[in-house]
Amino acid sequence: MRRTIFIIIIFMTGILSLAAQTPEERYAEAGELYGSGDYSGAAAMYRQLFEEGFRNADLFYNAGNAFFKSGDNASAILFYERAKLLSPADEDIDYNLQIARSRLTDRFETVPQLFFVRWLDFVSLLSSTNTWAVLALVMFIAALLLAVIFLTKSRAHGRLLSFWLSLASFLLALLMISLAVRNNALVNHNPKAVITCSIVTGRSAPGETGNELFVLHSGTTVTVEQELGAFREVRLPDGNKGWVRSDCMEKL
Amino acid sequence: MKSIVTVIVFLLTCLAAAAQEVTLTVDAPESAIAGERFRIIYTVNSTDGQFTPPKFDPAFTLQGPQQSTSRNVQWINGDVKSVVSVTLIYYAVVSEPGTYVIPEARFETKKLTVSSPERQIVITAGGQAPAAGQQQGQGQARSAGDAPAAGSEASMRLLFSDREVYAGEPITVTLKLYTRINLSGIQELKYPDFKGFLREDIETPPLRSLESETIDGVQYGTGVVQRFVLYPQIAGEIRIEPVEMTVLVQERTGTRDPFFDDPFFDSFFSSVSTVPRKISTQPVTVRVRPLPTPRPVDFHGAVGSFALESSISGSEAKLNDAITLTLTLKGTGNLNLAGEPVINFPQGIEKYDPKVTVRSSGTSSGSKTFEYLLIPRNPGTFEIPPVSYTVFDPQQEKYVTLRTEGYTVSVSGTPGAEDGEAPVYIPGEDMKYLGQDIRYIRNGSVRLSTISAPLVTKLHYWLWFALALFITAVVLLLRREQMKRSADIVGQKNRRAAKNARKRLAKATALLKSGRNEQVNAEVARSLWGYLGDKLRIPPSEITRDKCYSALRARNTGEELITELDRILTATEYSQYAPVSEGESPAALCKRADSLIGKLDDVLD
Repeated sequence: MRRTIFIIIIFMTGILSLAAQTPEERYAEAGELYGSGDYSGAAAMYRQLFEEGFRNADLFYNAGNAFFKSGDNASAILFYERAKLLSPADEDIDYNLQIARSRLTDRFETVPQLFFVRWLDFVSLLSSTNTWAVLALVMFIAALLLAVIFLTKSRAHGRLLSFWLSLASFLLALLMISLAVRNNALVNHNPKAVITCSIVTGRSAPGETGNELFVLHSGTTVTVEQELGAFREVRLPDGNKGWVRSDCMEKL
Repeated sequence: MKSIVTVIVFLLTCLAAAAQEVTLTVDAPESAIAGERFRIIYTVNSTDGQFTPPKFDPAFTLQGPQQSTSRNVQWINGDVKSVVSVTLIYYAVVSEPGTYVIPEARFETKKLTVSSPERQIVITAGGQAPAAGQQQGQGQARSAGDAPAAGSEASMRLLFSDREVYAGEPITVTLKLYTRINLSGIQELKYPDFKGFLREDIETPPLRSLESETIDGVQYGTGVVQRFVLYPQIAGEIRIEPVEMTVLVQERTGTRDPFFDDPFFDSFFSSVSTVPRKISTQPVTVRVRPLPTPRPVDFHGAVGSFALESSISGSEAKLNDAITLTLTLKGTGNLNLAGEPVINFPQGIEKYDPKVTVRSSGTSSGSKTFEYLLIPRNPGTFEIPPVSYTVFDPQQEKYVTLRTEGYTVSVSGTPGAEDGEAPVYIPGEDMKYLGQDIRYIRNGSVRLSTISAPLVTKLHYWLWFALALFITAVVLLLRREQMKRSADIVGQKNRRAAKNARKRLAKATALLKSGRNEQVNAEVARSLWGYLGDKLRIPPSEITRDKCYSALRARNTGEELITELDRILTATEYSQYAPVSEGESPAALCKRADSLIGKLDDVLD
């Protein structure tokens, strides 16, 4: 009884302090909690910020660290993956993700992606969706301006230059539009999910009746292919597919 | 020469004889059984004196004394040594149990009086049922269960220093033999396997003679067979199985003489045979309590009361010269099982496995020494951290942390240069990684913002592209219209160039009549410039003679026409600034200009 009251009081003060603080202050406070060794407290605060919709690579990176230190390896990997989507060239994220992955139960022979898909994904993640979108629009307008110059200019060599520049800008604009779309797909509709149950069975059909195909442990990253009821068809890093309960995974 | 030596020897002998002390000794048993005879023997090493017996207690029934004298003469290298000993034996019987004192006896010579020491004798009620509270120990803790079985003639007991211990706490166990009969030896000793314990024998002198000890009023011959230390390894009630021993018992086979109950006489009047007999101890249960949890990190299994000392061979060292750090664990406990302390030596100092020495004084007390050989491989100042070592103290029933001081070692020398010797190649050291952990969080200031739906999913974003296209299209259309119109204007000018020029020439011809030659020439020049500007599409502001000529040449105009044009233009300019008419008349100039325009028009169209 006393414990319940205690928990309620903590909860209430928590809500009050949440109401009083800006997200930046809460971020800093979570950092202090982490520094003082209260990893699960810090993780809870970072997670709260994530659930309120704040998106920041550093926030996710710190959340991953806090989850890792508090022993929740699956959530740590989830947040490192999220951080990596926002900051793909960050070496610290890669390093910590690699350490967190080294403690996983499941090990796979990963099927590598096609190199140009990998490059395209990497480049598309270097900026946010909106940055790419705005850049694409600017490039398109530049291409149009150059086209106007080409069509109206009378001097011969200037005309040729503006023609090529216009063509290049137009192609760049097209590329940037595709990067923006790809970035949007990766960041906001990423098909990847991390297994959060400590152990879960993959079956050949949605439901509890399908033949058991494989067993997954927490922290494994899978790709969601389709969803049917409470089940999702996932593709494992080694290319195999199976149906897994939706509540046993969290999408990026 | 020889006689001198003989005299000296003689004198020395006399001195020795004079210096010989008179002693009186008494030999009596410490205990005896009521009603049984025992002997009190006085021995004196002199014959010329008077022996006064002690005043015996009235309870003593005495026989004797039986006196005997023995003389022992020794000749060694001509030296006579004579030893006399007089023995007086009293046979005494005491019927009442109790503690009695045999007072001192005296021996008086002419010069001095010597006396024998006082002796105490305990008379016990032999053979009767043991009386409660009469137990006599020898300082060994024991419980009633350990007592030898009443009536048994030979038995063994395991005496425990403690029967309720903590895991790892050493127990000293004594295996003791109790006998009321004559034993001639031990044939076989069989230990159980002491499950749950680690046994360590203590060096015990072999059992040669038995001591007399009275337990519950019964006199036994006792002797320690073996002493050992048990270290409990597991917790719980642990039963120790009996120790078995085969002893050789001397049994009389002949008749027993009731008067001469003496082993010495026995051997004369009866025959004795040696019979092996098995005896064993009672099973004993020891309660072993587990060590309290949680165990401290720096607990390495040492249980007991200890002190930790440390020393270092020097606080200054040369590069690659060894330093020794010595840690000594002293005290009582399971020294053999005490693990080595964990010391985090600084990087740059090479550490070897410690040399461990255990010195124990027969039992579980002693010291254990850990000698760490350290070799500094880099110059600089190094901190050897203080060592903390936790032991469990069963007396205080808690963990006690022992600490030593830390040391600072300064290492001098240059790496690679070894005392003037030829420089030795030292291969570069590989980086040492001590552990692996994730990198720390970022605490820099961030701007946290929520992201609404991205632009690519919104229609207005794509409308911007459409708008840009639309604006471009409009701009292009307008531009085309304008170009078309301006192209028209130029074409008109081109077509009307000759006509306009002729109009001007006509105006010039009209001016001829008024006689203003300058104006006529200016009009001729204007008509020509106008014609050239319109025809060659050069704006009036940019027109120069050279530009016109090059434009004309570009259009394959004959060189004679260009020369003619140049002459006319020169003439008109010349006449403008020279009012007096020289050379050609304005009228002729008009005509020439008119024909030139006609010719140019043919070429340029």
